[in-house]
Amino acid sequence: MGIFRLDPETYRRYKDDVLRLCNSFQRIDRRGLSDAEIATELGLPERVVTEIRCVAERDCYSLDEWEKAIEFKDQACRDWAALALKRPDLKRSSDG
Amino acid sequence: MAPTAASTTLEESIKAVGLEAGARVVGIATVEAFRERVPEGYRPDDILPGARSVVVAGGDGPTAGAWRCPDHRVMEITGYDLRENVAVHAMGDHIERAYDHHAIQAPSLPVHGHAPPMSMMLAAELAGLGTRSLAAHIILNPEYGLLYYAALITTLPLAPDPPLERPACPHPGCVAMYKRIGTTPCLRVCPACLSGTVKDGAIATSTYDRERCHSRAQTYGIGSFQKALYQIVNEDDPARRRTMIYGDFFTKSLEALGFYRDSIAQCFECMRVCPVGRKHRKLL
Amino acid sequence: MSELLPGATAALKSAALKAGASVCGIADARAFDEHAPPKHRPADLLPGAQSVVVVGGAQPRAGDWAATSRAVLETMGTTERIQSVGRRLAQLIESEFGYYALFVPPGTASGDTPFLSLMLAAELAGVGSRSLAGPVLNSEHGFLYWSAVITTAPLEVDAREAEAACPAPACREMWERETTTPCLKVCPASSGGCLDGRLENGRAVRTFYDAPRCHTRVHTHWIGGFQKVLEETLNEPDKDKRKMLLYGDFFTRTLWAVTYSSTNIAQCFECMRVCPAAHGNKELH
Repeated sequence: MGIFRLDPETYRRYKDDVLRLCNSFQRIDRRGLSDAEIATELGLPERVVTEIRCVAERDCYSLDEWEKAIEFKDQACRDWAALALKRPDLKRSSDG
Repeated sequence: MAPTAASTTLEESIKAVGLEAGARVVGIATVEAFRERVPEGYRPDDILPGARSVVVAGGDGPTAGAWRCPDHRVMEITGYDLRENVAVHAMGDHIERAYDHHAIQAPSLPVHGHAPPMSMMLAAELAGLGTRSLAAHIILNPEYGLLYYAALITTLPLAPDPPLERPACPHPGCVAMYKRIGTTPCLRVCPACLSGTVKDGAIATSTYDRERCHSRAQTYGIGSFQKALYQIVNEDDPARRRTMIYGDFFTKSLEALGFYRDSIAQCFECMRVCPVGRKHRKLL
Repeated sequence: MSELLPGATAALKSAALKAGASVCGIADARAFDEHAPPKHRPADLLPGAQSVVVVGGAQPRAGDWAATSRAVLETMGTTERIQSVGRRLAQLIESEFGYYALFVPPGTASGDTPFLSLMLAAELAGVGSRSLAGPVLNSEHGFLYWSAVITTAPLEVDAREAEAACPAPACREMWERETTTPCLKVCPASSGGCLDGRLENGRAVRTFYDAPRCHTRVHTHWIGGFQKVLEETLNEPDKDKRKMLLYGDFFTRTLWAVTYSSTNIAQCFECMRVCPAAHGNKELH
């Protein structure tokens, strides 16, 4: 027996439900469910839920989102500095 | 400020140790306070049998100068001294030596995906150190704004600090802004991760996309390493694989793993525009 | 080089305790020659070495041992706190005494081999003795983390501990009753664990320690686990199954451990948890 391996078909079937129920998309007025609570809700072993959640958290957005994150931070940081420090030259030009 | 005077309470003595060790704020919550809001397995007394109290230390985030840097990469790797953890260790040692009660640092590093064994955010709230905000539900201290939190769990019974009556968020400036244009600084700067509404000067609704935020707050780190590695192992062309392995993104991801202390939090844009605690960032 | 002043050893030990060590002992650098292989003796690291200063401390708290979540001991790592004491002493020896001092790096020289055995150093410095379970235990404080400084200063050396912490009286009684001890029972080599041994007349006369298996427990989520998953991933032809490996719980946790290494250093303490000699002598509430 090797390390725990999640069956891709099980993952595909339950990943959206697990993401919906856990703490991935948060609301201030209620908490996400624990793996044990999700397991009860979906009728799955807790270990399987943990594995689905871990993979789904990482799989939720493609690597493109990371590139967007870099762009976002560069722009937001420079825009703020330009405004707060009264330095319009710090604003990012349209060609980056 | 060392605990000395006979009239100093037990709680004041312990807090003094934490403050001297570098905490900006220290608060106390009872273990019972966690029960209602935390699922089984994640409560303080699930971790330390017989636990009675949770002592929470808040430590400073980036310096005022770091907030002013127009290069976001500086903030990404500005690093922390993790002094709230130092304060927690100092208080934990003190409790075991001086009062003969068990004390442990509350485990807060994620051990299964993004899930930590115990929520430091909730601990800070219950210990009266801050309240949830529109910005990713980050706990804001009304005086200092963004702080980093660590906690210890102990069997020593302590008088708790009450949760704050008045929320730090929304700031009056943000209430006024919402009235004018239907948004707040944090919601406006990062609509990708955040959404929310303000009504009668209080948060009415608030959502937070943690997984998207992860790509921003930990652009280079464990997640990016996994994503990039998955692409690398699936790339059949050796020349393309080579450029991926040695390219900037994967290299920075490895650096973030190697120099983790300098790359714990990598996006502060919602906090950069937040007015809570800003007076402490205005220097010469 | 200046001559060592009288009282220097005592001053050094006092500084160590003030800096946070629970114990401080001194070993003769030459005493390692009999026990350590070439390239791993003090003089191999610092030519002209005379003494090895050993400090122990930064041990888990009583509460850590009592915690029911294994995540506590897995992620509370405090060994860095004793490393900083070692570094400070190395600087003190050089700046105050004028002799060379080398802080022994706590990592490995290659593979799993350390530069200098800190366990052997602790034994020779009289601050601990080996246990059936392997770790060196101090007779007063039990399980400690160690740091060492090699120096050309001719410090006053300490004798080895006269009485070993292991086996503890309770363990000797248990052996008489059940032919086992708490550590051997919790992790028996005969059932897929790491340890075996035998007591005779209250002393350990044979020990067995499966280091590679122990590595999978103490460093479950570490470099070895990372390498194993990487190998399985590269050998897995199905892309979806590869994703399950790379994004899964085990690999994610392993990356957390590698990243936050200072707090994930040791991930199995079960032999020490059950050891009556490992937790020091203080009873708490």
